[in-house]
Amino acid sequence: MVDLNLLLHGFATVLSGYNIVALVLGSFFGIIIGAIPGLTATMGIALLVPFTFGMNPITGIVMLLGIYTGAIYGGGIASILIKTPGTPAAAATVFDGYPLAQKGMAGKAIGMATVASGIGGTFTALCLTFFAPILAKFALRFSAPEYFALAVFGLSVTVTLTGKSPLKGIISGCLGLLIAMVGLDPMGGFPRFTFGTTQLTGGFSFVPMLIGLFALSEGFRQVEVILTAPKVSAVLTNIIPTLRELRECTKTFVRSCIIGLIVGVTPAIGAETACFIGYSEAKRTSKHPELFGTGILEGVAAPQCAENASTGGDVLPMMTLGLPGDAATAVLMGALTIHNLQPGPLLFRDHLDLVHQMFAGMIVANLVYVILGLTFARLFAKVINIDRRFLVPLIFIACMVGSYAIGNDIFDMVTCVFFGFIGYIMIRYDYPVSPMVLAQILGVMMESNFRRSMAMSQDHLSILVTRPIAVTILILAAFTTITGIRRQRKALRQQAAMEAAASSGGAQG
Amino acid sequence: MANLTMKKADIIAVAIVIPICLYVFYESVKWPVPALLGRPFVIPRGVATFLLVAVFLLLYRAMKGRALELEKRLEGADLWRVIGAAVLTFGYLFVVERIGFFGTTLLYMLLFALVLGERRWPRLVLFAILVPLIAYVLFSTALHVPLPRGWIENSLRDHGLALIF
Repeated sequence: MVDLNLLLHGFATVLSGYNIVALVLGSFFGIIIGAIPGLTATMGIALLVPFTFGMNPITGIVMLLGIYTGAIYGGGIASILIKTPGTPAAAATVFDGYPLAQKGMAGKAIGMATVASGIGGTFTALCLTFFAPILAKFALRFSAPEYFALAVFGLSVTVTLTGKSPLKGIISGCLGLLIAMVGLDPMGGFPRFTFGTTQLTGGFSFVPMLIGLFALSEGFRQVEVILTAPKVSAVLTNIIPTLRELRECTKTFVRSCIIGLIVGVTPAIGAETACFIGYSEAKRTSKHPELFGTGILEGVAAPQCAENASTGGDVLPMMTLGLPGDAATAVLMGALTIHNLQPGPLLFRDHLDLVHQMFAGMIVANLVYVILGLTFARLFAKVINIDRRFLVPLIFIACMVGSYAIGNDIFDMVTCVFFGFIGYIMIRYDYPVSPMVLAQILGVMMESNFRRSMAMSQDHLSILVTRPIAVTILILAAFTTITGIRRQRKALRQQAAMEAAASSGGAQG
Repeated sequence: MANLTMKKADIIAVAIVIPICLYVFYESVKWPVPALLGRPFVIPRGVATFLLVAVFLLLYRAMKGRALELEKRLEGADLWRVIGAAVLTFGYLFVVERIGFFGTTLLYMLLFALVLGERRWPRLVLFAILVPLIAYVLFSTALHVPLPRGWIENSLRDHGLALIF
């Protein structure tokens, strides 16, 4: 169970000195990143990780939590004002947010989005605080075979649920696994795939690679198409929602909080999925579903609440099992490792005070962006029109210098640019990047625990199928993979049928 | 610049990935097999085999014309700009240690903004000077990261800017 004394101490730490300054700055930067269409929460975290390197672990971590939660919320601002989601997670906010802005209620919509995000985020942060220690305690019983099974499960879910094609997800994931093998063998200590270079003996530096794959690749995308966001013309007034408006959305908040939490806990899917499910459920259960899409506050509250409610769910498996819930938490995990903190149950055993500070940080972060969002809404609305011709070179230089800063090594900069370009090509040709990154984290976990299991059982594979927890997780992994592939095949068949129908229609015409 | 079709892109991906898989098999033969440490080649070869199966399926799908459609070409998309940015960025990596951070970044910012179509010269020059200066101060002074030094940093330090450079 959560230790309330440690939690109170965590609040005191987070709210004191540099920590709260870092959290507010992180949240502010996160909202800006979220509000600019084309920039994502993952990119924001990846860009700022190197800046936290010289900080106290907790200062750096709360700053990153501020960016994470702030960026997820900030995406809704652009959705409401210019009909373009700031982040993919805010796509469903467009449906009712933009019509509200057209009715002259942009301020009201942003206010509701802010409060709904805060409610969802705080709920999920509280759930994280209370459930994470329980899950971590259970996970302490795990041994090598269970961890191997868990890594296989994480990988199978990641590759089949991410992107348009499971096949391309599998290819991306397998390449990530091979990249994770570069360096010294985890048990034998001999070099693998290093091509005789000493720089690759320790493998590719993880954080520069993350910055490249998630931030620089997006930078290249922005170079390809220089987005010019429509001018924000809406005047923001009456931003703070009334009690009556909040009361009317109570059921929506409850529903979206639960949806967000469940979606967040499911590996590989996060805020992007939660916002759509939150919106569609609010519409389905509403007494006036016909009003959805015409500009109603409930239509803004549901997706915003659900997407922010997924953040704690995403962080939960990362902190307790070392299994990142999505791309953003994979980057957060990378940030923890550069502070010599290895996410997983041992984090709860060895750094219990820091874990409680993280819980407190997550709760405070959700309150900070609500205050910032309601206070500086007009400023964040202006950020949307920032000139990309200056922003994009800034992203590039921040990525490269940030990568260099981690080890003062030019090879890290090269790693960042190399993977940035690879990431750009992958995105361009529909190969999802997230499986490649998650596979690198899970690959290390999978291989070392497989080898340990084999050592424990004297090379008998039966150890993986005779332990109840391990076998349950492996069955779940197989089930998820088969379901994912069947779903994709069905989608392909539907697409082929539609193409055939279109071509026969064209021939007749 | 013409876009690759998804079919061609998939075939190229297959052509790149197959040699990678074969290399895994080739190199794993040379690894030692220490006693009771699990077999080190099982996971790498397993992954390579899995990857081979996946790319052959992708190839089959591409050849049969069932490759997924490429996203529609976006309005204003320009691959030449990407190539320009990539050349500039790889060039930056090549010279930053020789020329130093300040000079290289100044030139990089200026050329990058030009590649992106910025032609308002006063803004451009101000931007190109301010970014490396702020980055240098932030990293070198506040975050204690020694950025690559060149003759510009050294001469600025000799001319009274020792606090920053």
